Amino acid sequence: MGAYVYSIGATAAIFILLALSLNIITGYAGQAMMGHAAFFGLGAYTAAILTQTYGVNFFAALLLSMLVTGACGALVGLISLRLQADFLAITTIGINFVMVALFNNLSITGGSLGLTIVKPTLFGVKMGNRQFFWLTLILIVVLCLLIVKMRRSWFGMALASINNDAGAARSFGIDVSRYQILTFIIGTAIAGLAGGIYSHRMGYICSSDFAFVISIQILSMVVIGGIGTIRGPILGALLLTFLPEVLRFADDYRSLVYGALLVLMVRFMPSGLIGDNSPLVIGSKKLLGRRFAKKGGQKA
Amino acid sequence: MFLQQVINSLMIGSLYALTAMGATLIYGILGILDIANAGAYLLGAYVGYYVYHATGQLILAFLVAMTAIGLFGVILHRAVYGPILAKPRMLSIIPLVAAVGLFTLSSDAVRLLCGAGTKAYNFRFSTDVLHLGSVSIQTTWVLIFALTALLLAVLWFILNKTKMGLAWRATAEDPDIAKACGVNTNSAMALSYVLGYGFAAAAGIMTGILYNSITPALGEVPSYKMLAIIVLGGLGNPLGTVVAGLIIGFAEVMLSTYTQIPIPKDAIAFVVLIIVLLIKPAGLFGQRNKV
Amino acid sequence: MKELMRIEGLKMYFGGLKAIDGLDLTINQEETLGIIGPNGAGKTTLFNAICGVYKPTDGKITLKGQEVQGLPAQEMARRGIARTFQISKPLADLSILDNVIAAAGVHEYTGMRSYFRKSHTPEVVAKAEAVLEETGLRELRDKKASDVSLGYLRRLEIARVLVTDPELIMLDEPCAGLSNFAINEVTELVMKLKAQKKSIVLIEHNLPITMKVCDRIMVLSYGKKIAEGTPEVVKSDKQVIEAYLGEEDEE
Repeated sequence: MGAYVYSIGATAAIFILLALSLNIITGYAGQAMMGHAAFFGLGAYTAAILTQTYGVNFFAALLLSMLVTGACGALVGLISLRLQADFLAITTIGINFVMVALFNNLSITGGSLGLTIVKPTLFGVKMGNRQFFWLTLILIVVLCLLIVKMRRSWFGMALASINNDAGAARSFGIDVSRYQILTFIIGTAIAGLAGGIYSHRMGYICSSDFAFVISIQILSMVVIGGIGTIRGPILGALLLTFLPEVLRFADDYRSLVYGALLVLMVRFMPSGLIGDNSPLVIGSKKLLGRRFAKKGGQKA
Repeated sequence: MFLQQVINSLMIGSLYALTAMGATLIYGILGILDIANAGAYLLGAYVGYYVYHATGQLILAFLVAMTAIGLFGVILHRAVYGPILAKPRMLSIIPLVAAVGLFTLSSDAVRLLCGAGTKAYNFRFSTDVLHLGSVSIQTTWVLIFALTALLLAVLWFILNKTKMGLAWRATAEDPDIAKACGVNTNSAMALSYVLGYGFAAAAGIMTGILYNSITPALGEVPSYKMLAIIVLGGLGNPLGTVVAGLIIGFAEVMLSTYTQIPIPKDAIAFVVLIIVLLIKPAGLFGQRNKV
Repeated sequence: MKELMRIEGLKMYFGGLKAIDGLDLTINQEETLGIIGPNGAGKTTLFNAICGVYKPTDGKITLKGQEVQGLPAQEMARRGIARTFQISKPLADLSILDNVIAAAGVHEYTGMRSYFRKSHTPEVVAKAEAVLEETGLRELRDKKASDVSLGYLRRLEIARVLVTDPELIMLDEPCAGLSNFAINEVTELVMKLKAQKKSIVLIEHNLPITMKVCDRIMVLSYGKKIAEGTPEVVKSDKQVIEAYLGEEDEE
């Protein structure tokens, strides 16, 4: 595989992690999270500061940045208990802006000049796109397996219940608040992980890498692909990472196409391209008959 | 000096109130956060620019822009928001994503059609600045303030003294009961868009006049800042929006003049919002959350 | 009869509104207790206070010797209080079977630990299917809850209640909004549960059914108990008749 493919692949892989993690919060738990890039950035900066300023090992830094990001995610989770959907949406946008402002103004994050990161070494070899690609790919596979297990567990049933009717969920023993906070922690921690990988792969980060517009991009990947599924965010991330490359000739029209795509998707296919209720999925189910029927009615 | 800043705050705050009014009116009826309202703001600024430069008549520019963009809003509702909201059971972020898409679309369309460069309104009074004691105010600010006050007064009148306004308030309170009482909820929704997008368009023109420049990126800051303002005021509450707009205007001017906090001016609205929501989760005035 | 739950001096005040104003009530085991009263009397509010949806303003609720007033809803559910809702609350995107399985996990939802336990084990599925059989919903097993009519949804809520092996079954107007045919089906189901000696509290506007099904009836009006006793006693109570005057309630 050429260097170019590894380069795009590494980017796509990072965004797949981001999309999958956002889907946990918005798709499975049904929470409004419009500021995911803030946690992406928090993880990126935390890991970078740990390795560059404190000489922490790269992988340890990744773990620590997950902890830090998850802890902040817990705070947002607590906030989400007090605020209803639309208020929460705007608050998460606000958190995004405030975080970016902090990244841009604090000296520890390099201020408006950003941070330069020396790429870590793995078994004596300096990590390049190839290594980051494979590292992230492995993490994606692990994450998908963990999500599948979650969907088949009582944790998954709890989320599905809450997502459908929180009052009913409480009536059969589900502590809605607790599960809401847990999903925020998990979702943001994984975003932090993706951030840590991102900063070390790019070699340089600045506050604008984590602006609100990035949150929208991640959200779009989830929505366009199919919210509430595993395959949806993966496809969405792949699509929105590769499409701009494929359409390089029409670079000037990129935003236009992007905006139009969002509107058309939400208007005509709100379940996403390969979401559970999308025409594509329902159509192929009909074509392939009973092969798609799952045990006990549960969906993956 | 302090009085000067107070006057400045008042000017900026009232313009914010007008800019945010569209989003509040739409939320009041439909329960969606219409980021695309900032697209109306942008389009209004450009339509107004072209009409003004073609005819030299500022009032005409206002009227044409407000009417055209207002109608555009109604079309948008028919084509996009209406059908989306008619679908059963969806996550609240779905209409938000559509709004973002519309905003991106309109911003980029303006860029492609009108060019990425800055355009200048070049609207001037014969006296540039008025001096009242220790305070100096640009004459254009006075005009804008007067227009804003006028438009808000017109809104107040429509909402409180006309049958259409009553229909709007009834639909905002409870659309099902309103319909059952024979209220034409569809026209209430159309009114939201006509007024909401029309006001945004007017605010766009005013910004263009005040800062004498418009670019395709004009809507970016208002798109999210106005959301912070309407949430602060309690979603769907026009009076709350006016108060919130003024508060944010004051916060921005005062904090940037007298303090050194490391938060950029445009993020101040969000800091204020987060602090208020932690104390009052429904906003300053709000009880209405359309979930 | 053994006492299951004792409510003493219960008060639910919402600002100036006294929804429940000093209520004493005993719920016994193996008994079907009916709660009736005109609209706005506070019946659902009482349910909500017992089930933990509301925190009582004052008063004591004792369940099998332990004080439980003010505990949150999910905690009451774990202690064996299972309820249905006046306005049906199905898990719309899930199948009928999954709706019941969701409720079957009442003791499994313990936070992170629930991640490690599989939900659709053969035991759980079998138990859920048994409950579906008992409530006559077996054919609808794989149907999405949003595709199913109200009569079935009401039975689904009862199925959700049953699968939790509750101490106390609380039914909030299970017959509301149903056709006569569906009302009969629901009534039959309740009679079946009664025959199984389950402890039931029932809110119902449909007086004939209430009189037929319940061992004991309590009458609420404006947040206060105005009568209590067997159906015959309550039927002829003057205050009860007065409270219902003007409410043509033989639906």
